[in-house]
Amino acid sequence: MQLYPLKLVTVVGEAVIMEDIAEEGVKLGATGYTITEVNGHGSRSARNVASTTGARTLKVEFVAPADVAVGILTHVSHQYFEHYAVIAWLADVQVVRGQNYIGK
Amino acid sequence: MTDSFLAVVPMWAMLTGEQLSRILESLERNLLTPIPLCFVLGIICTRIHGGIKIPKELYYSIAIFLLMSIGFMGGHELAHEYHAHGVSTIWKPALATLFLGCLTPITSYLVLHYVGRLSIADSAGIAAHYGSTSAVTYAVANSFVEQTQHPANSFLPTLVTILECPGIAIALVLGAALSARERSAKAAATGRPVKESKLGEALYEVITGQSIMLMAGLLVVGFISTMFMDPKGFQPFYDFFQSKGMLFRGVLCIFLLEMGLVAGEKLGDLLKVGPFLVAFGILMPLAHGFLAAYLGHLAGLNLGGCTVFAAIVSSASYIAAPPAVRLTLPEANPTLSITAALAITFPFNIAFGIPIYYEMAKWVGAQ
Repeated sequence: MQLYPLKLVTVVGEAVIMEDIAEEGVKLGATGYTITEVNGHGSRSARNVASTTGARTLKVEFVAPADVAVGILTHVSHQYFEHYAVIAWLADVQVVRGQNYIGK
Repeated sequence: MTDSFLAVVPMWAMLTGEQLSRILESLERNLLTPIPLCFVLGIICTRIHGGIKIPKELYYSIAIFLLMSIGFMGGHELAHEYHAHGVSTIWKPALATLFLGCLTPITSYLVLHYVGRLSIADSAGIAAHYGSTSAVTYAVANSFVEQTQHPANSFLPTLVTILECPGIAIALVLGAALSARERSAKAAATGRPVKESKLGEALYEVITGQSIMLMAGLLVVGFISTMFMDPKGFQPFYDFFQSKGMLFRGVLCIFLLEMGLVAGEKLGDLLKVGPFLVAFGILMPLAHGFLAAYLGHLAGLNLGGCTVFAAIVSSASYIAAPPAVRLTLPEANPTLSITAALAITFPFNIAFGIPIYYEMAKWVGAQ
Protein backbone atom coordinates (compact mmCIF):
# COMPACT_ATOMS: atom_id res chain seq x y z
CA MET A 1 0.00 0.00 0.00
CA GLN A 2 1.36 3.38 -0.94
CA LEU A 3 1.21 6.20 1.56
CA TYR A 4 1.56 9.85 0.55
CA PRO A 5 3.24 12.40 2.82
CA LEU A 6 0.82 15.32 3.18
CA LYS A 7 -0.07 17.98 5.75
CA LEU A 8 -3.06 18.01 8.10
CA VAL A 9 -4.25 21.53 8.90
CA THR A 10 -6.50 21.75 11.96
CA VAL A 11 -8.34 24.92 12.90
CA VAL A 12 -10.45 25.09 16.09
CA GLY A 13 -12.52 28.16 16.84
CA GLU A 14 -15.88 29.81 17.45
CA ALA A 15 -18.66 28.45 15.26
CA VAL A 16 -19.58 31.74 13.65
CA ILE A 17 -16.43 31.86 11.50
CA MET A 18 -15.65 28.19 10.98
CA GLU A 19 -17.83 27.52 7.96
CA ASP A 20 -16.29 30.54 6.26
CA ILE A 21 -12.83 29.19 7.05
CA ALA A 22 -13.76 25.81 5.58
CA GLU A 23 -14.92 27.39 2.34
CA GLU A 24 -11.96 29.73 2.16
CA GLY A 25 -9.66 26.71 2.61
CA VAL A 26 -11.24 25.10 -0.43
CA LYS A 27 -10.75 28.31 -2.41
CA LEU A 28 -7.09 28.26 -1.39
CA GLY A 29 -6.66 24.79 -2.90
CA ALA A 30 -7.83 22.18 -0.38
CA THR A 31 -9.95 19.48 -2.02
CA GLY A 32 -12.27 19.13 0.96
CA TYR A 33 -12.65 19.41 4.71
CA THR A 34 -14.20 17.81 7.79
CA ILE A 35 -16.10 19.80 10.43
CA THR A 36 -16.72 18.47 13.94
CA GLU A 37 -18.33 20.08 16.98
CA VAL A 38 -15.98 20.09 19.94
CA ASN A 39 -15.87 21.33 23.54
CA GLY A 40 -13.06 22.83 25.50
CA HIS A 41 -11.55 25.67 27.39
CA GLY A 42 -9.18 28.35 26.15
CA SER A 43 -7.79 31.76 26.99
CA ARG A 44 -10.56 33.60 25.12
CA SER A 45 -13.55 31.35 25.46
CA ALA A 46 -15.12 30.26 28.67
CA ARG A 47 -16.23 26.69 29.07
CA ASN A 48 -18.60 26.01 26.29
CA VAL A 49 -21.94 26.64 27.94
CA ALA A 50 -23.98 27.35 25.30
CA SER A 51 -26.50 26.05 23.17
CA THR A 52 -28.49 29.07 24.25
CA THR A 53 -26.21 31.76 22.94
CA GLY A 54 -25.05 29.68 19.99
CA ALA A 55 -21.47 29.91 21.28
CA ARG A 56 -20.40 26.56 19.90
CA THR A 57 -16.84 25.55 19.06
CA LEU A 58 -16.05 23.79 15.80
CA LYS A 59 -12.99 22.04 14.42
CA VAL A 60 -12.18 22.14 10.71
CA GLU A 61 -9.59 19.78 9.23
CA PHE A 62 -7.98 19.83 5.78
CA VAL A 63 -5.55 17.35 4.25
CA ALA A 64 -3.45 19.15 1.66
CA PRO A 65 0.01 19.50 0.15
CA ALA A 66 2.47 21.68 2.09
CA ASP A 67 2.07 24.87 0.01
CA VAL A 68 -1.72 24.82 0.24
CA ALA A 69 -1.56 24.00 3.95
CA VAL A 70 0.72 26.94 4.68
CA GLY A 71 -1.49 29.15 2.53
CA ILE A 72 -4.53 28.23 4.65
CA LEU A 73 -2.69 28.83 7.93
CA THR A 74 -1.43 32.21 6.73
CA HIS A 75 -4.91 33.25 5.62
CA VAL A 76 -6.50 32.16 8.91
CA SER A 77 -3.89 33.91 11.01
CA HIS A 78 -4.18 37.18 9.08
CA GLN A 79 -7.93 37.22 8.83
CA TYR A 80 -9.09 35.82 12.16
CA PHE A 81 -6.42 35.67 14.87
CA GLU A 82 -6.78 39.24 16.03
CA HIS A 83 -10.40 39.23 17.11
CA TYR A 84 -11.64 35.66 17.31
CA ALA A 85 -11.02 32.72 19.59
CA VAL A 86 -9.14 30.47 17.13
CA ILE A 87 -6.22 28.07 17.27
CA ALA A 88 -4.61 26.48 14.20
CA TRP A 89 -1.86 23.94 13.71
CA LEU A 90 -0.15 21.81 11.11
CA ALA A 91 0.92 18.16 11.31
CA ASP A 92 2.63 15.68 9.02
CA VAL A 93 0.41 12.81 7.99
CA GLN A 94 0.76 9.74 5.81
CA VAL A 95 -2.35 9.42 3.71
CA VAL A 96 -3.82 6.42 1.89
CA ARG A 97 -5.01 7.35 -1.62
CA GLY A 98 -3.15 10.60 -1.05
CA GLN A 99 -3.27 11.57 -4.71
CA ASN A 100 -6.93 12.53 -4.14
CA TYR A 101 -5.85 15.43 -1.92
CA ILE A 102 -3.23 16.91 -4.17
CA GLY A 103 -5.87 18.93 -5.95
CA LYS A 104 -6.27 20.32 -9.35
CA MET B 1 -31.03 61.77 23.10
CA THR B 2 -30.86 60.50 26.63
CA ASP B 3 -34.38 61.89 27.02
CA SER B 4 -36.00 58.51 27.20
CA PHE B 5 -33.31 57.40 29.59
CA LEU B 6 -34.28 60.20 31.92
CA ALA B 7 -38.00 59.91 31.33
CA VAL B 8 -38.39 57.28 34.02
CA VAL B 9 -36.92 59.54 36.67
CA PRO B 10 -39.90 61.92 36.96
CA MET B 11 -42.16 58.91 36.78
CA TRP B 12 -40.59 57.33 39.82
CA ALA B 13 -40.68 60.66 41.60
CA MET B 14 -44.43 60.83 41.05
CA LEU B 15 -45.12 57.43 42.55
CA THR B 16 -47.47 57.51 45.48
CA GLY B 17 -47.37 55.06 48.33
CA GLU B 18 -50.44 53.32 46.96
CA GLN B 19 -48.86 52.86 43.52
CA LEU B 20 -45.71 51.54 45.09
CA SER B 21 -47.59 48.95 47.07
CA ARG B 22 -49.44 47.94 43.88
CA ILE B 23 -46.11 47.45 42.11
CA LEU B 24 -44.83 45.35 45.00
CA GLU B 25 -47.99 43.29 44.88
CA SER B 26 -47.56 42.68 41.12
CA LEU B 27 -43.93 41.74 41.70
CA GLU B 28 -44.93 39.21 44.28
CA ARG B 29 -47.68 37.83 42.05
CA ASN B 30 -45.16 37.41 39.24
CA LEU B 31 -42.18 36.14 41.20
CA LEU B 32 -43.98 33.34 42.95
CA THR B 33 -45.11 31.60 39.77
CA PRO B 34 -43.46 28.54 38.20
CA ILE B 35 -41.83 30.29 35.22
CA PRO B 36 -39.53 32.72 37.12
CA LEU B 37 -39.07 30.17 39.89
CA CYS B 38 -37.72 27.62 37.38
CA PHE B 39 -35.32 30.29 36.14
CA VAL B 40 -34.13 30.91 39.70
CA LEU B 41 -33.76 27.17 40.24
CA GLY B 42 -31.49 27.02 37.18
CA ILE B 43 -29.31 29.84 38.52
CA ILE B 44 -29.04 28.25 41.97
CA CYS B 45 -28.22 24.88 40.45
CA THR B 46 -25.31 26.29 38.45
CA ARG B 47 -23.99 28.28 41.39
CA ILE B 48 -23.87 25.23 43.67
CA HIS B 49 -22.62 22.98 40.84
CA GLY B 50 -25.83 20.97 40.95
CA GLY B 51 -26.66 18.20 38.56
CA ILE B 52 -29.49 19.54 36.38
CA LYS B 53 -28.68 19.13 32.73
CA ILE B 54 -31.10 19.86 29.91
CA PRO B 55 -30.07 17.93 26.78
CA LYS B 56 -29.21 20.28 23.96
CA GLU B 57 -31.56 18.53 21.56
CA LEU B 58 -34.47 18.96 23.97
CA TYR B 59 -33.63 22.64 24.33
CA TYR B 60 -33.61 23.06 20.54
CA SER B 61 -36.86 21.12 20.22
CA ILE B 62 -38.55 23.29 22.82
CA ALA B 63 -37.28 26.45 21.14
CA ILE B 64 -38.77 25.21 17.85
CA PHE B 65 -42.11 24.43 19.50
CA LEU B 66 -42.27 27.80 21.27
CA LEU B 67 -41.44 29.77 18.12
CA MET B 68 -43.86 27.74 15.98
CA SER B 69 -46.58 28.10 18.57
CA ILE B 70 -46.12 31.86 18.93
CA GLY B 71 -46.13 32.26 15.14
CA PHE B 72 -49.07 29.95 14.51
CA MET B 73 -51.32 31.39 17.22
CA GLY B 74 -50.29 34.88 16.14
CA GLY B 75 -51.27 34.14 12.54
CA HIS B 76 -54.56 32.63 13.65
CA GLU B 77 -55.50 35.60 15.83
CA LEU B 78 -54.30 38.00 13.17
CA ALA B 79 -56.69 36.39 10.68
CA HIS B 80 -59.59 36.94 13.12
CA GLU B 81 -58.53 40.51 13.74
CA TYR B 82 -58.23 41.11 10.00
CA HIS B 83 -61.62 39.54 9.41
CA ALA B 84 -63.26 41.75 12.04
CA HIS B 85 -61.50 45.10 11.58
CA GLY B 86 -59.31 44.93 8.46
CA VAL B 87 -55.98 46.61 9.03
CA SER B 88 -57.46 49.53 10.99
CA THR B 89 -56.42 48.28 14.44
CA ILE B 90 -53.05 46.90 13.39
CA TRP B 91 -51.30 49.55 11.36
CA LYS B 92 -50.68 52.00 14.21
CA PRO B 93 -49.08 49.46 16.59
CA ALA B 94 -47.07 48.10 13.64
CA LEU B 95 -45.79 51.58 12.87
CA ALA B 96 -44.98 52.19 16.55
CA THR B 97 -43.06 48.90 16.59
CA LEU B 98 -41.04 49.83 13.53
CA PHE B 99 -40.31 53.26 15.01
CA LEU B 100 -39.16 51.82 18.34
CA GLY B 101 -37.20 49.10 16.54
CA CYS B 102 -35.22 51.87 14.85
CA LEU B 103 -35.02 54.16 17.89
CA THR B 104 -33.88 51.74 20.62
CA PRO B 105 -30.56 50.77 19.00
CA ILE B 106 -29.74 54.46 18.51
CA THR B 107 -30.59 55.51 22.09
CA SER B 108 -28.68 52.48 23.38
CA TYR B 109 -25.68 53.31 21.23
CA LEU B 110 -25.62 56.95 22.34
CA VAL B 111 -25.88 56.09 26.03
CA LEU B 112 -23.23 53.37 25.80
CA HIS B 113 -20.79 55.42 23.77
CA TYR B 114 -21.19 58.87 25.30
CA VAL B 115 -22.27 58.12 28.88
CA GLY B 116 -20.53 54.78 29.32
CA ARG B 117 -17.48 55.72 27.22
CA LEU B 118 -17.43 52.30 25.57
CA SER B 119 -15.71 51.91 22.20
CA ILE B 120 -17.66 52.30 18.96
CA ALA B 121 -17.65 48.57 18.28
CA ASP B 122 -18.67 47.60 21.82
CA SER B 123 -21.42 50.22 21.91
CA ALA B 124 -22.80 49.19 18.52
CA GLY B 125 -22.53 45.51 19.41
CA ILE B 126 -24.51 45.91 22.63
CA ALA B 127 -26.96 48.27 20.89
CA ALA B 128 -27.68 45.53 18.32
CA HIS B 129 -28.68 43.19 21.15
CA TYR B 130 -30.96 45.80 22.76
CA GLY B 131 -32.46 46.92 19.45
CA SER B 132 -33.72 43.43 18.76
CA THR B 133 -36.06 41.43 20.96
CA SER B 134 -36.29 38.20 22.91
CA ALA B 135 -39.12 35.83 21.97
CA VAL B 136 -38.89 34.13 25.37
CA THR B 137 -39.46 37.43 27.15
CA TYR B 138 -42.53 37.79 24.94
CA ALA B 139 -43.73 34.34 25.98
CA VAL B 140 -43.25 35.05 29.68
CA ALA B 141 -44.89 38.49 29.46
CA ASN B 142 -47.82 36.98 27.61
CA SER B 143 -48.28 34.32 30.30
CA PHE B 144 -48.14 37.07 32.94
CA VAL B 145 -50.90 39.19 31.39
CA GLU B 146 -53.05 36.11 30.84
CA GLN B 147 -52.71 35.32 34.53
CA THR B 148 -53.78 38.84 35.44
CA GLN B 149 -56.93 38.40 33.30
CA HIS B 150 -55.86 41.11 30.87
CA PRO B 151 -54.86 39.17 27.74
CA ALA B 152 -52.88 41.16 25.20
CA ASN B 153 -54.19 42.17 21.79
CA SER B 154 -54.14 39.19 19.47
CA PHE B 155 -51.64 40.60 16.99
CA LEU B 156 -48.71 41.00 19.40
CA PRO B 157 -46.74 38.09 17.84
CA THR B 158 -46.79 40.04 14.56
CA LEU B 159 -45.13 42.92 16.39
CA VAL B 160 -42.47 40.56 17.78
CA THR B 161 -41.47 39.54 14.26
CA ILE B 162 -41.45 43.16 13.07
CA LEU B 163 -39.22 44.09 16.00
CA GLU B 164 -36.63 41.37 15.53
CA CYS B 165 -34.69 42.69 12.52
CA PRO B 166 -34.44 46.49 12.22
CA GLY B 167 -32.68 47.00 15.56
CA ILE B 168 -29.85 44.62 14.72
CA ALA B 169 -29.55 46.02 11.20
CA ILE B 170 -29.37 49.66 12.32
CA ALA B 171 -26.83 49.05 15.08
CA LEU B 172 -24.60 46.96 12.82
CA VAL B 173 -24.71 49.43 9.93
CA LEU B 174 -23.97 52.24 12.39
CA GLY B 175 -21.11 50.32 14.00
CA ALA B 176 -19.64 49.17 10.69
CA ALA B 177 -19.77 52.67 9.21
CA LEU B 178 -18.28 54.37 12.26
CA SER B 179 -15.51 51.86 12.78
CA ALA B 180 -14.61 51.63 9.06
CA ARG B 181 -12.38 54.69 9.35
CA GLU B 182 -10.59 53.24 12.37
CA ARG B 183 -10.06 49.99 10.53
CA SER B 184 -8.64 51.50 7.37
CA ALA B 185 -6.29 53.67 9.45
CA LYS B 186 -5.12 50.56 11.24
CA ALA B 187 -4.72 48.66 7.97
CA ALA B 188 -2.59 51.51 6.59
CA ALA B 189 -0.44 51.51 9.73
CA THR B 190 0.19 47.76 9.73
CA GLY B 191 0.46 47.44 5.94
CA ARG B 192 -2.06 44.62 5.84
CA PRO B 193 -5.10 44.73 3.57
CA VAL B 194 -8.40 45.92 5.12
CA LYS B 195 -10.39 42.94 6.26
CA GLU B 196 -13.54 42.45 4.23
CA SER B 197 -16.74 43.43 6.00
CA LYS B 198 -19.28 40.68 6.47
CA LEU B 199 -22.21 43.03 7.06
CA GLY B 200 -24.29 41.73 4.16
CA GLU B 201 -23.75 38.13 5.14
CA ALA B 202 -24.58 38.87 8.79
CA LEU B 203 -27.82 40.68 7.94
CA TYR B 204 -28.86 37.87 5.61
CA GLU B 205 -28.28 35.39 8.43
CA VAL B 206 -30.40 37.43 10.85
CA ILE B 207 -33.31 37.62 8.43
CA THR B 208 -33.11 33.96 7.41
CA GLY B 209 -32.18 32.74 10.91
CA GLN B 210 -34.25 30.15 12.72
CA SER B 211 -36.26 32.46 14.95
CA ILE B 212 -37.52 34.72 12.16
CA MET B 213 -38.11 31.90 9.69
CA LEU B 214 -40.11 29.84 12.19
CA MET B 215 -42.06 32.66 13.76
CA ALA B 216 -42.81 34.64 10.58
CA GLY B 217 -43.29 31.45 8.58
CA LEU B 218 -45.80 29.97 11.03
CA LEU B 219 -47.52 33.35 11.26
CA VAL B 220 -48.23 33.12 7.54
CA VAL B 221 -49.20 29.44 7.85
CA GLY B 222 -51.59 30.23 10.73
CA PHE B 223 -53.06 33.21 8.88
CA ILE B 224 -53.64 31.38 5.59
CA SER B 225 -55.03 28.24 7.17
CA THR B 226 -57.43 30.21 9.37
CA MET B 227 -58.67 32.16 6.35
CA PHE B 228 -59.11 29.21 4.02
CA MET B 229 -59.61 26.06 6.07
CA ASP B 230 -62.93 24.96 7.48
CA PRO B 231 -62.89 25.46 11.28
CA LYS B 232 -63.46 21.78 12.01
CA GLY B 233 -60.39 20.73 10.06
CA PHE B 234 -58.39 23.53 11.64
CA GLN B 235 -59.31 22.55 15.22
CA PRO B 236 -56.66 19.80 15.79
CA PHE B 237 -53.85 22.19 14.82
CA TYR B 238 -55.29 24.86 17.07
CA ASP B 239 -55.58 22.37 19.93
CA PHE B 240 -51.97 21.25 19.50
CA PHE B 241 -50.42 24.70 19.48
CA GLN B 242 -52.82 26.35 21.91
CA SER B 243 -53.56 23.39 24.23
CA LYS B 244 -55.21 25.88 26.61
CA GLY B 245 -51.72 27.20 27.28
CA MET B 246 -50.84 23.93 29.00
CA LEU B 247 -48.13 22.59 26.73
CA PHE B 248 -46.74 26.06 26.07
CA ARG B 249 -46.36 27.04 29.71
CA GLY B 250 -45.03 23.65 30.69
CA VAL B 251 -42.24 23.61 28.15
CA LEU B 252 -41.59 27.28 28.89
CA CYS B 253 -40.67 26.18 32.43
CA ILE B 254 -38.13 23.71 31.04
CA PHE B 255 -36.79 26.40 28.72
CA LEU B 256 -36.44 28.89 31.56
CA LEU B 257 -34.68 26.28 33.66
CA GLU B 258 -32.04 25.98 30.93
CA MET B 259 -31.87 29.78 30.62
CA GLY B 260 -31.26 29.90 34.37
CA LEU B 261 -28.44 27.37 34.06
CA VAL B 262 -26.76 29.50 31.38
CA ALA B 263 -27.41 32.80 33.16
CA GLY B 264 -25.88 31.28 36.31
CA GLU B 265 -22.67 30.64 34.39
CA LYS B 266 -22.67 34.22 33.18
CA LEU B 267 -23.20 35.73 36.64
CA GLY B 268 -19.48 35.46 37.26
CA ASP B 269 -18.92 37.84 34.34
CA LEU B 270 -20.95 40.58 36.08
CA LEU B 271 -17.85 41.64 37.99
CA LYS B 272 -15.90 41.87 34.75
CA VAL B 273 -18.37 44.11 32.95
CA GLY B 274 -18.51 46.75 35.68
CA PRO B 275 -21.26 48.80 37.34
CA PHE B 276 -22.09 50.95 34.31
CA LEU B 277 -23.25 48.02 32.22
CA VAL B 278 -25.24 46.59 35.14
CA ALA B 279 -27.03 49.93 35.52
CA PHE B 280 -27.49 50.13 31.75
CA GLY B 281 -28.99 46.63 31.63
CA ILE B 282 -31.67 47.68 34.10
CA LEU B 283 -32.33 51.38 33.40
CA MET B 284 -32.29 51.24 29.59
CA PRO B 285 -35.03 48.56 29.47
CA LEU B 286 -37.08 50.61 31.96
CA ALA B 287 -36.74 53.71 29.78
CA HIS B 288 -37.51 51.83 26.57
CA GLY B 289 -40.32 49.97 28.31
CA PHE B 290 -41.93 53.20 29.51
CA LEU B 291 -41.69 54.73 26.04
CA ALA B 292 -43.17 51.57 24.52
CA ALA B 293 -46.03 51.43 27.04
CA TYR B 294 -46.82 55.06 26.25
CA LEU B 295 -46.61 54.74 22.45
CA GLY B 296 -48.43 51.40 22.60
CA HIS B 297 -51.26 53.10 24.47
CA LEU B 298 -51.37 55.92 21.90
CA ALA B 299 -51.46 53.31 19.13
CA GLY B 300 -54.50 51.71 20.73
CA LEU B 301 -53.12 48.65 22.51
CA ASN B 302 -55.00 47.36 25.56
CA LEU B 303 -53.50 46.98 29.05
CA GLY B 304 -52.12 43.50 28.42
CA GLY B 305 -50.93 44.59 24.97
CA CYS B 306 -49.05 47.62 26.34
CA THR B 307 -47.42 45.45 29.01
CA VAL B 308 -46.25 42.82 26.53
CA PHE B 309 -45.24 45.51 24.03
CA ALA B 310 -43.10 47.24 26.68
CA ALA B 311 -41.53 43.89 27.57
CA ILE B 312 -40.57 43.04 23.99
CA VAL B 313 -39.26 46.52 23.17
CA SER B 314 -37.16 46.61 26.33
CA SER B 315 -35.84 43.06 25.99
CA ALA B 316 -32.50 42.23 24.44
CA SER B 317 -31.82 39.52 21.89
CA TYR B 318 -29.37 36.79 22.80
CA ILE B 319 -30.03 34.33 19.99
CA ALA B 320 -30.14 36.25 16.71
CA ALA B 321 -27.86 39.16 17.62
CA PRO B 322 -24.63 37.53 18.95
CA PRO B 323 -23.51 35.75 15.76
CA ALA B 324 -24.44 38.76 13.61
CA VAL B 325 -22.42 41.09 15.83
CA ARG B 326 -19.54 38.64 15.92
CA LEU B 327 -19.36 38.57 12.12
CA THR B 328 -19.75 42.29 11.54
CA LEU B 329 -17.94 43.84 14.50
CA PRO B 330 -15.32 41.26 15.49
CA GLU B 331 -13.49 43.79 17.66
CA ALA B 332 -16.51 44.10 19.98
CA ASN B 333 -16.11 42.08 23.16
CA PRO B 334 -18.89 39.45 23.19
CA THR B 335 -18.69 39.01 26.98
CA LEU B 336 -20.08 42.53 27.45
CA SER B 337 -23.13 42.16 25.23
CA ILE B 338 -24.04 38.61 26.20
CA THR B 339 -23.63 39.28 29.92
CA ALA B 340 -25.76 42.43 29.66
CA ALA B 341 -28.50 40.73 27.64
CA LEU B 342 -28.57 37.37 29.37
CA ALA B 343 -27.32 37.89 32.93
CA ILE B 344 -28.76 41.36 33.58
CA THR B 345 -31.66 42.40 31.36
CA PHE B 346 -33.32 39.02 30.85
CA PRO B 347 -33.52 38.11 34.57
CA PHE B 348 -34.51 41.68 35.41
CA ASN B 349 -37.37 41.61 32.92
CA ILE B 350 -38.58 38.18 33.96
CA ALA B 351 -38.57 38.94 37.67
CA PHE B 352 -39.24 42.68 37.96
CA GLY B 353 -39.57 44.28 34.53
CA ILE B 354 -42.81 42.69 33.39
CA PRO B 355 -44.87 43.63 36.49
CA ILE B 356 -43.34 47.12 36.39
CA TYR B 357 -44.34 47.50 32.72
CA TYR B 358 -47.81 46.36 33.72
CA GLU B 359 -48.02 49.18 36.25
CA MET B 360 -46.50 51.63 33.75
CA ALA B 361 -49.16 50.63 31.22
CA LYS B 362 -51.87 51.24 33.81
CA TRP B 363 -50.25 54.55 34.73
CA VAL B 364 -50.29 55.84 31.13
CA GLY B 365 -53.99 54.97 31.01
CA ALA B 366 -54.13 51.69 29.10
CA GLN B 367 -57.18 49.55 29.84
